Amino acid sequence: MTQETQVIRQVLEGDIESFRLIVERYERPIARMIRNIINNRESCEDIAQDVFFTAYRKLASFDPVRGNFSTWLFTIARNKSINALRKKRPLSMSELPQNSDRHNPSDELAEREFFDELDAGLEALPSAQKRAFVLAEFEELSYEDIAQIEGVRIGTVKSRINRAKKELAKTLKEIRYEK
Amino acid sequence: MKSEEIYKAWKERKSQIDIRENFADELMNQIYQYESEKRKPLFDGHRLIELISAHRFVKAGVVTAGAVTGLVRVMFVVYAFLAC
Repeated sequence: MTQETQVIRQVLEGDIESFRLIVERYERPIARMIRNIINNRESCEDIAQDVFFTAYRKLASFDPVRGNFSTWLFTIARNKSINALRKKRPLSMSELPQNSDRHNPSDELAEREFFDELDAGLEALPSAQKRAFVLAEFEELSYEDIAQIEGVRIGTVKSRINRAKKELAKTLKEIRYEK
Repeated sequence: MKSEEIYKAWKERKSQIDIRENFADELMNQIYQYESEKRKPLFDGHRLIELISAHRFVKAGVVTAGAVTGLVRVMFVVYAFLAC
């Protein structure tokens, strides 16, 4: 029995405080994944709290035979992120990030500009591609885990990630040409 | 800056996150509150008695409702007796 499974068992037996160990272990990866998918720094923590609260309420339904706990938790986070994206209102023109001066020679500004372009490239990806890319690149999950989270075959995950990488490579190339 | 360097730096930035310090505390409070709500019985007899005895009009209402119910019951008994 893994340490995590033991903690889950303790929680299910009524030791609520043990759930804190799970929260402290996964709070950053879950909040980061949500932020990178919904692209909203402010609400990602609230959604992450909702993820953990849902996980607590449904903990009895977690089956270690079907997969590991982190995959189960990331699946809840994935579903909550999709719901948040559906509810998300489009940004008004005044709320859109302002592009910095493209001709500014400062390295720091140029770097920030590159990042903004890549952020925009990531934001522009189709939702499923973005999720697969975020889980693979930033959370460093295996293709198998991503396939389980997304409920698709490994081949589909690979193709989504490849397409996302190609799109972002195109963005990078455009940045290079513009400079 | 090379493309790979830009990408690497961007990836590093996207991999960082600062979350509020009391994140776990807030969540655990929410869970404890949920548990205490869950453990509350659907019908709390003591609370109902307290509520009734705290308000004069509620008390009078309950007594009246009891009296009316008793009267109706007596009437039914009398009616059933006369119908025999």
